[in-house]
Formats: sequence, C-alpha cells, structure tokens
Amino acid sequence: MNFIEQYLARAAGLETVAAGQDIRCRVDLVAAHDVTGPMAIQQFEQIGVDQVFDPGKVVMVIDHIFPAATVQAKAMHWIMKDFAGQYGITLYDKGEGVIHQVLAERHRLPPGSILVGADSHTCTAGGYGVVAIPVGSTELAAAMATGTIDLEVPEVIEVYMTGQPQAYVGGKDIVLSLIKEFGVAGLTDKAVVFTGPGITALGLDDRLTICNMGIEMGAMIACFGGEATAAPAVAKTVKLALETIDIVAACPHSPANVRPVSQLAEVAVTQVVVGSCTNGRLSDMEQVVNVLKHRPVHPAVTMLVIPASKNVLAAMEAAGWCRILRDAGAVVTNPGCGPCFGAHQGLGTDRDVILSTTNRNFPGRMGHRSAQVYLASAATAAVTAVRGRITRPGSLVLEGGVGYEQA
Amino acid sequence: MNRLKGQVWVFGDDVDTDQILPGYAMAEEFSGLARYAMAGSKQADFAARVQAGDIIVAGRNFGCGSSREQAPVALQAAGVSLIIAESFARIFRRNAINIGLPVLVAELRRHVQTGDLVEADLVQGIVRTADREIAAQALSANVLATIAAGGLINRVRQELGISNN
Repeated sequence: MNFIEQYLARAAGLETVAAGQDIRCRVDLVAAHDVTGPMAIQQFEQIGVDQVFDPGKVVMVIDHIFPAATVQAKAMHWIMKDFAGQYGITLYDKGEGVIHQVLAERHRLPPGSILVGADSHTCTAGGYGVVAIPVGSTELAAAMATGTIDLEVPEVIEVYMTGQPQAYVGGKDIVLSLIKEFGVAGLTDKAVVFTGPGITALGLDDRLTICNMGIEMGAMIACFGGEATAAPAVAKTVKLALETIDIVAACPHSPANVRPVSQLAEVAVTQVVVGSCTNGRLSDMEQVVNVLKHRPVHPAVTMLVIPASKNVLAAMEAAGWCRILRDAGAVVTNPGCGPCFGAHQGLGTDRDVILSTTNRNFPGRMGHRSAQVYLASAATAAVTAVRGRITRPGSLVLEGGVGYEQA
Repeated sequence: MNRLKGQVWVFGDDVDTDQILPGYAMAEEFSGLARYAMAGSKQADFAARVQAGDIIVAGRNFGCGSSREQAPVALQAAGVSLIIAESFARIFRRNAINIGLPVLVAELRRHVQTGDLVEADLVQGIVRTADREIAAQALSANVLATIAAGGLINRVRQELGISNN
C-alpha cells in the first residue's frame, strides 16, 4: 500500500485497501464556510438527529462574504450562529480568515488524519500531510451526523520532486506548471502525492499553495509525503526537477492555460489582487512588501492585499507592512476570501485585466464574464503592480542598476 | 424514475460551477436559486427557457471548480431531470447524486443539438436519440440506491433507523 492507502485503511479500520474499493472512513474534523455551511445545516436538520457526532470536531468559518455584502448573506451568517449556539460547535464569525488558513493555524491535524471540508480547496491541508476530502453540503451534513464518510479508494499519482527551485520560483509556479502538464481534469477521482528529495526545499507555505490547487487538476486528494522518499505502490510516478520550473502565469480563462511570465510582458493590468487561501500568507506578503517599499503601485492599477487570516494581518501590522503597503497605494482589506469567488471586494468589468494570486480564472469568477484574469505568484503580482504590466520578478532595478528585490 | 425523456440543452467542455451558478447568487435564499441556473454560461437565458424534465448534455469535466452544492440544486430546481456528460468533476458528480439528480457518463454531445429529444435508461445505461443508441457508463448499485431514496439524506436516515414519518 502507498501512504494514502495506509491512511485510508486506518481510518476505515481495515488491514488493507485497494484502489477502487468502496470504504467508510471515520473523520477527524469536519469543516464548512458561509457558502456551504447554511445548506449543510439545512440538510443536517432534515436527517433528524439531535446532535453532531462530536461538537469538538465540527468547525465553521464565515469567510466568503464577510462583512455581509447583502441582507441575504447576513441571513446565512445568522443560520450559522444559531446552529453553533444550539449544537456547541466552533464558529469563527468575526472575520478571522479563510477557512483553510484558520484550520492550518488553529486546528492543525497530524499527518494521515481525515478532514472533510465543504469547500473544493479543502485539499490545502494536504500541505501538512492531512488526507483532506472536499465535499458538498449534503455530504458534509452526513459527516456531521455520522462522523464518517463513504469514499472510493483513489488511484495515487506521485509527483517525485528533485533539485531546488530557482530564485523567485514559488509553490504557485510549481503547481501552475503541474496543472499545465496534467490539465484541468487530468487527475479527476485520483489522489496526487508529492514526494522526493526536492520537497525539503519547499516550506510549509509553498506546500499549502501546491496542495490548494490540486482540485484545479480535478484531484480528490492532494498530499505531501511525510518523508523525502518515493512512495511505494502508486499507479504512476511523474518526475519533476524543480530547477526546471519557470516563473509562470495562468492566462484567461483556465488555470491550465499556463505560459511563462516572460511571454506576457505586453499585458497591461488594471488590478492586482494578492491574497486568498492560495497565496495570502505571510511569506506572500513579504514578497509584496519587498517591492512596494521601494516603488509605488502604478497609477493605472488598483491593488488589493487580502491577508488570509487575522494572524497574518497582525504580523503584517507588527512589522509595519500595512503602512508600507498603504503608502505605496495598495488597499489592505480585512482577512477573508475577498473577490476570489466573485461576491464582493474588488470585482472586475469587461474593461478590467486582473492579475491575481487566487486559484481560479474561470469566466466570470471575479466579476464580468469577459474580465481577463491571470493567476500568478505574489512575487509576480508585486512587480506587476508597480510596472502596470505583467512582469517577471527579479527584473526591477534601482537607477544605479542594483537589483533591490530580495532573492 | 429509471427512464427519463426530455429535450436536451447542449454545452461544451469544462463548464465550471461559476458558470452553472455564479458566486453572486450564493447569497440568495435557497428557494430562489433556480432563476440563476447557468447564469454565468454562454447560454445565460437558460433559466428563463428551460422546461421541466429537460436534460443537459455536455462535454468533458462538467461541474469542475467549487464544491457549492447550490449549483446542482439550481439545475434541479430549474427543472433539469438528468445531466449527461462525457465526464464529470468528482465533487459535482457526488453533489448531484446526493440530492437525487441523476448523472450519466456518455459520449452523446456530438450526436445531438439543443432541442433534440432523448430518452435515457439509468439502470440499463443506454441513451436513445432519434436515430441511435449510445451506451452510458452503468451507475453503481450504491448510486442507484441513493437516487432511488431521493438523495443521501434519506439514505442516512434509513441507516440511522430514523423513520420518514
């Protein structure tokens, strides 16, 4: 068995499992947010049980439309508050951040645990070795009632990493390159695992970013191995030499429409967004500050910076970064999802060209169907914001010819 | 329930959940979701024109993207009785089955146009157009049981021994 099968077998109480087998796993944590939670609550109440399986293992986070942009959105928040009060579960309802970041900071499960989350980017938790299964509201409701989930043991595809990424190449460049390779449906119903000596070159933030976008290849599970060796008994191994990864962006309107940033230098942008569960962490913010402390945001660009959590924001404030960003012309918003899924705080029209560190650029994802949305790393976003055109990080220099971005 | 007949609406590849139900519709009451069905797609007037019993036919990777179950709920509420695609994104496929909206994997798209009448047999795994029969991937006993129960919630109730009265 590979390590995903070992984890699933343990959760199912079985000696062994094999790809294709239907199993029932006990879950270690169940989570939902303000888009999926209210419907899950409604479905849960239809089941007719009078308690959740374990109130200590159910978490909800209000992150998608906070503060409420509409009366209806606020009504959804009330559904969650009432539920949390009645059933004694944990609810983060004051803008503490995006669900995946809040789980990573406050409810970090040990490797091999089973997380069931009603959000497609639940796979983010694979960055710290958790088997994280994204589901919809009804399946979440069932898990809240029973403490179990039924699933089919997936085929496991291994990405075996070697070497070290070049300067300015981060998790986002690596995962976008993989999405280009596999395609948006290349891993549907499969698990993707990341192994090999190269993973030691990737910090937690990069691992979270890579697993976060596993769903953009269709994967059911995305997960880093616990050690830097190959996984046994996988269906397929793909080798990835990290030093060959270029700095890239996904072009409209697909996360798989990936091109080198150096080929996009003529693309003028009207908005830059840094944040989300993909790239809203402190290391992302540092890359932005390292540029914006030297040069202001381009006059034609709106720049939005959205910390992934209150912890990230607090650290930014303590370091004086919020002031630097504001002085440079950026808007620092409250922690949360921001415009990523198209409900508030920075949507685009058909005149807008947006470079964003978020995870999707489907038509209409961030406003108008014809808004042009590019996806890239925070390092690329930062230099793009000051130049007003999509720009390769590491290319900005002072008048004397001295590069000032931090390598 | 196992045989469904309806007029088809044809869509392409990679129809994502933002096209099926845009983010701005997520703040709506669940009862009002039907009018936003496919509002983000190239056939934005779908919700106004779809008839009860109609069938969506699509290409590869239908329903990719978000876990929002409101997407299949909106299609079902708008009257869609069945989705036939060349492949489905996993979460969408499970969400649809969990609410009792059947999905079939079949290579149908190239053989039909919007407005054509097709008939599907869920148990046999066959889709019939005016002039041909196309094999679909058979649904598992588990999936058929969930659909027959009217969705996962009813199945959980059965397993927990909660009566439907």
